Amino acid sequence: MSDLIAVDRVGKRYQTSSGPVEALRDVSLPVGAGEFCTLIGPSGCGKSTLLGMIGGLVVPDDGRVLVDGRPVTGPDPTRVATVFQDPGLFPWRTTLENVEFGLELQGVTRERRRAVATELLGPLGLRDFGAKYPRELSGGMRQRVAIGRALAIDTPIVLMDEPFGALDEQTRLLMGEWLLDIWRRTRKTVVFVTHSLHEALALSTRVVVMTARPGRIKSVLDLPMPYPRAMESSEMVALRATLWSGIRDESLRAMGER
Amino acid sequence: MTRVVALRAAILVASLAAWEIGARAANPLLYVPPSAVVPALGRLLTLDSYPDLPASLLLTLREIVIAYALAIAAGLGVGAALGLNRLAGRVYGPIVAALYAVPAVVWYPSLMLFFGLDAASKIAFGFLLGFFPITLAVLAGIRQVSPHLIAVARAFGARPTAVFVKVMMPAMLFTLVGGLRTGLALAVIGVIVGEILGSKAGMGTLINHAYGLFRTSDYVALVCVTLVLIVGSDAVASLVERRARRWTD
Repeated sequence: MSDLIAVDRVGKRYQTSSGPVEALRDVSLPVGAGEFCTLIGPSGCGKSTLLGMIGGLVVPDDGRVLVDGRPVTGPDPTRVATVFQDPGLFPWRTTLENVEFGLELQGVTRERRRAVATELLGPLGLRDFGAKYPRELSGGMRQRVAIGRALAIDTPIVLMDEPFGALDEQTRLLMGEWLLDIWRRTRKTVVFVTHSLHEALALSTRVVVMTARPGRIKSVLDLPMPYPRAMESSEMVALRATLWSGIRDESLRAMGER
Repeated sequence: MTRVVALRAAILVASLAAWEIGARAANPLLYVPPSAVVPALGRLLTLDSYPDLPASLLLTLREIVIAYALAIAAGLGVGAALGLNRLAGRVYGPIVAALYAVPAVVWYPSLMLFFGLDAASKIAFGFLLGFFPITLAVLAGIRQVSPHLIAVARAFGARPTAVFVKVMMPAMLFTLVGGLRTGLALAVIGVIVGEILGSKAGMGTLINHAYGLFRTSDYVALVCVTLVLIVGSDAVASLVERRARRWTD
């Protein structure tokens, strides 16, 4: 069976004022349909760059990315939707109008897209907030609107770049549970970037640990356990220790470079 | 709120009274008291003193509308061209800003030479005055659009035109509406000043006529009518501005 996403030996270099920086080197990663694949690693390891390549926002210098067997040449909102760390809501649009954004670009009629967005409000927990502007919403709500905007275009793939990174711990835990519920119902393929060990272990079917710059894949951890996971079980605690020891070395290296 | 209105009314009444008393004490030919303006306004509005008032008002209004429409079109076009093209913006942006700082009235004599004494030179002058604030507002507006929002729109498949219409325009609406409002005020000033400086028809010509013949009360009445025109146009603009700001504060 062919993978839904195939990252094939990609590399990326950036020019900065202090010289060239190699963000990614020779990264290959297959992601199967229905997976919840999490990328974790030290800051600046190219996780977001890799996500950008799958989403068509970043062009690789080496290698290529295939989605559904076809090379990615730019953003393709029929196959991939993205959620960013900064939710990036349009402040002049209400919750419903933000959720409708992608459908509007695809030329879906007003009635149809309003129906889709309204139906999403329930699962998003925003039933009473459809007519509110982003400034009237909490941080967690805003991120749910951004997730709603990605879900509205109903793509098989959803990319999430540290979607809960800016939220407080409690909100973050609840949002994780909520996302898990959504993902298990929709069965979309998710590629998720995070710094949180807890998030990675609680949500993913697979965790990919990346090295310090230049980013490469250090190890891959498969997590076939059922959901919801008992995070305090000896099995999960042991996995957490394994994962942390792998990431710790890389984080130390990344810190030493600064 | 009612206190604000009351205080405002009080100062209005007080200044009208001071004006009345002061004008009666001085030469009434030069200093018209309000009590003389009211009948003059009556004569003006019944078309007694100036029968061609409607035609003049219409002409001035038409000049303003054309000048403003041209200023909007050119301002949006030039502003977008300079704002979206980094090189063009760096080369020409400062020139536009510098020209805006020149007192525009120095151009008026050459505009009269180019376009004659008829409506064309007034339209050109109103256009010239209205053009700069609109252009600069578009330039400033484009600069303040968040690159992240543009990236988000692109991720959802927006092409350059959609990015401009659905992200840049609303994001800079604030600044843009402010510039459009300033542009309207300046276009109105341009047309009326143009008419006063030299013309054959329009409100400015009537004002010039009344003032030249020492028909001071008629002159003040004409100024009042012109004032209504200007205040009215600004009220419309501020209404639009408030609507555009619905999603903030």
